[in-house]
Amino acid sequence: MIRLVRSTIIDAPTDEVWALLRDFNGHDQWHPAVGKSAIERGQSSDKVGCVRHFFLRNGAELREQLLTLSDLEQSFSYCLLDTPVPLFNYVAHVRLAPVTDGNRTFWDWRCSFSTRKGEEAEMARMVGEDIYDAGFAAIRNRLAASAGLEGRA
Amino acid sequence: MARVYVSSVINSRSDRVWQRVRDFNGLPSWHPGIAESRIENGEPSDKIGCVRDFRLRNGDRIREKLLGLSDFDLFCTYSILESPMGVENYVATLRLTPITDGDRTFAEWTAEFDCPPEREAELVSNIGGGVFQGGFDALKRQFGG
Repeated sequence: MIRLVRSTIIDAPTDEVWALLRDFNGHDQWHPAVGKSAIERGQSSDKVGCVRHFFLRNGAELREQLLTLSDLEQSFSYCLLDTPVPLFNYVAHVRLAPVTDGNRTFWDWRCSFSTRKGEEAEMARMVGEDIYDAGFAAIRNRLAASAGLEGRA
Repeated sequence: MARVYVSSVINSRSDRVWQRVRDFNGLPSWHPGIAESRIENGEPSDKIGCVRDFRLRNGDRIREKLLGLSDFDLFCTYSILESPMGVENYVATLRLTPITDGDRTFAEWTAEFDCPPEREAELVSNIGGGVFQGGFDALKRQFGG
């Protein structure tokens, strides 16, 4: 079992970050690796148990299921159901917390999974860098851009 | 039930910050509000259930019991046994989480307690703004930001 943790500080209040992250189907709007995404069976994206069916920009097709969602804790968990890459028993947790002495956001993104022998390092690198670190950067840039627009208005 | 939540970013790796704060008898070495501390009955300060008897710089004396300590999850939970603050059922947790992006530490300090409603705002402000934030400010200074 591989455990992976990535965390960062975003220079915006948690409510602004959470507004972007809480939509389980919204990652195609902000994550650079994600192409088209849809929730199966016409369910609402905040219905626990719903499944998002999406494509990465490289063409890979994935399905992930929402396991928990909390507006109080500003957290959610999900697991992979189908993926073309060897990620098994993949469960991920996203948690936001306010940095009260600065009105910023602590964002923790972690997961556990297993994979084929010999592919541990590459899978950990792909998830950690291509998904998590890239996601942090995308949200940071997006919030900075919208703050810049407000500043000009 | 009143709740206090204070959090901060400390500019050092979480294992180094944890080394500083894990000693349940070590408050005087890093928290500017605490003058002296001892563990009752000569017990080690990482024995769950041990009691620290300490004195604030303003002279107040407080006794607190260690309820939980984790070197894996980097948290410490304790309750107040005796204090002049007028709180009941006070339980607090100090927790550190690594910020992998930059080798920093996310520090959270929470408390829950009961008190007369008219005293809640004052107590929340004293505990959160005074004791907890005061501790984080000191750690930030000690670890250079």
